[in-house]
Amino acid sequence: MSFSESHKFSGEGIAHIARIIDKINLGIWEYNTDTKEVKWSSGFYTALGYAPGEIECSYNFFFNQLLYYHDKEVFLKATQHPRQGGSPVAHVRLLTKLNGYQWFENTTQKHDTADGPVIYGVLKNIHALKISEIKVTEAEFKVNEIGRIAKIGSWEIDTATMGLTFSKEMYDIFELDDHVTMSVEEAIGFFEPHYRKTLTNVVNEALNYCKPYDIELLFKTAKNNVIWVRSKGVPVINDHGKCVTVRGIFQDIDSIKRKGITLQSSINLLDDQNKRLQNFAYIVSHNLRSHSGNLKFMVNLFEEAKLSEERTEIFSHIKTISESLSATMGHLDEIVRIQSEITRERKLLDFETIFNNVASALHTNIDRTNAVINTNFSDCPQVNYIPAYLESILQNLLTNAIKYKHPDRNPVINITTRKVGNEVYLIFEDNGIGIDMQRYGDQLFGMYKTFHQNSDSKGIGLFITRNQVEALGGTIQVESAVNIGTKFTVKLV
Amino acid sequence: MNTENKSVTAGIVDDDEIFTYGFKKITAIKGLFDEILNFSNGKEAIDFLKDPQNKQRLPDVLFVDINMPVMNGWEFNKAFEEIKSQLGKNITLYNISSSIDLEDIKRAKSNPIIADYLLKPIDEQYLAEIFRSLQNAGDLRLYN
Repeated sequence: MSFSESHKFSGEGIAHIARIIDKINLGIWEYNTDTKEVKWSSGFYTALGYAPGEIECSYNFFFNQLLYYHDKEVFLKATQHPRQGGSPVAHVRLLTKLNGYQWFENTTQKHDTADGPVIYGVLKNIHALKISEIKVTEAEFKVNEIGRIAKIGSWEIDTATMGLTFSKEMYDIFELDDHVTMSVEEAIGFFEPHYRKTLTNVVNEALNYCKPYDIELLFKTAKNNVIWVRSKGVPVINDHGKCVTVRGIFQDIDSIKRKGITLQSSINLLDDQNKRLQNFAYIVSHNLRSHSGNLKFMVNLFEEAKLSEERTEIFSHIKTISESLSATMGHLDEIVRIQSEITRERKLLDFETIFNNVASALHTNIDRTNAVINTNFSDCPQVNYIPAYLESILQNLLTNAIKYKHPDRNPVINITTRKVGNEVYLIFEDNGIGIDMQRYGDQLFGMYKTFHQNSDSKGIGLFITRNQVEALGGTIQVESAVNIGTKFTVKLV
Repeated sequence: MNTENKSVTAGIVDDDEIFTYGFKKITAIKGLFDEILNFSNGKEAIDFLKDPQNKQRLPDVLFVDINMPVMNGWEFNKAFEEIKSQLGKNITLYNISSSIDLEDIKRAKSNPIIADYLLKPIDEQYLAEIFRSLQNAGDLRLYN
């Protein structure tokens, strides 16, 4: 049975209700819009921290002294236009006696009486509730903001249902507009194929064996952007040690990761250069040492020798050493020049033209060995390169192919170019004596490394070629079989 | 020279012609070694050692360079170790090189079949010591 049922109240009943209204821990008010008469319950004063009658009971006082100016509009909206049948609720701040402005919930009703239209309402202090609500909203906002700024999303897998839930930022990283729900498998499908198995394994290990994980993977967003992400999952276990939830973060680490990769490749490049320089210093020391050692040796012998024929012979060796020393110095100059020429301007060069220059310079060697040279530069006729380098590379490879020809056959040399994407390859094949790659493969491009009993082998050509190619960011690879031939594949750019 | 001393044959394995020439010349001047054999790389030396016809001409000591074409000093050391027991003669092995690379020195010195690693240019005094110790070793063997 409700209080208003059958509209019958005894005299005592009305007094009883008035008592209830005054004693209740809520502020009850009434306002007659015609007479401007205002009534406040005792609870109204108490709610604001006053004793009944301590403050002026009037609409003006309420509106101007108690109601926070910012909340006036909300209050008016709720009281002046109460919806038919409903009880509009407004959250407003009122000035209390001791605690400053506090949040109140005001519920309004409109009722027509014999004395005119009356608005009445109930005022309830909801300050603590409102503050915690504001704090929650702020915290949520902060969490979202942190996620957005750090590009970190969070997710959860419920073990029982295998349901996957995402934070807002997750969708931003996925580049999905709709906050659709997806299965674990569907989410894994966003990763690059190579990483799907890895992720599936670690997620399963987290679910089945409570093993946390932290991995970096390549991920393809809904808009087909491939980015590096970090996925970290931590299992949450119940009292029985079983995994009930896997909770984790998902972070866009693309810019960091790519910087790291660039850095690593710079380090590798520096490392290579360092190794080359060290090797170079070692070689220089070795060669100069062996020449100077021989020189000292011969000078001693010259002093010891008594016969003039002996002295003549020793002196001829001293001359040879002197020539070797100059040749070694020449090689060093050449290597130093590679580094200094690197800053020279690259030019658009015709393979055909450069090759013809080189071939005409070597025509005596070519003619003497009856070498057949087939060229095909049609796939990539031109390259942007330093002219002196390209000339030197072609010359060294051609000289080698002729020098190490097979004794039983005339040299056949095939030179082609290929373009793969933006990369330009120069391919040099011969039918010469070949080289035992298993034995010498790692030394092939070393300085003063000779592998054949060939008196004019100096072990400098390929060393220079590799340095020129690598100085411009290219690579050189070799395949060879003894008695069959050798194939050099030079990635120029 | 003591006529009772055993004659000592040395072999030089090196592609450096000037060094080989100097080696022969200095040992001739100083009266070291009774005969000098000369090989321009490791393979030539191994082929000579393996040939049964050379059984009576095997050297007492070999000076093997490290950097050589065809078969370098490291490869020679390995090949020598394999045929050592079939030679019927104890041949002392020295590595010689102008390389001051510590790795090279360590590698040669840690090999039990290598008596020592000699830096070029070769120290005549040390060469003379090697020669005398081989002569004496011959004496000991004769009298035992």
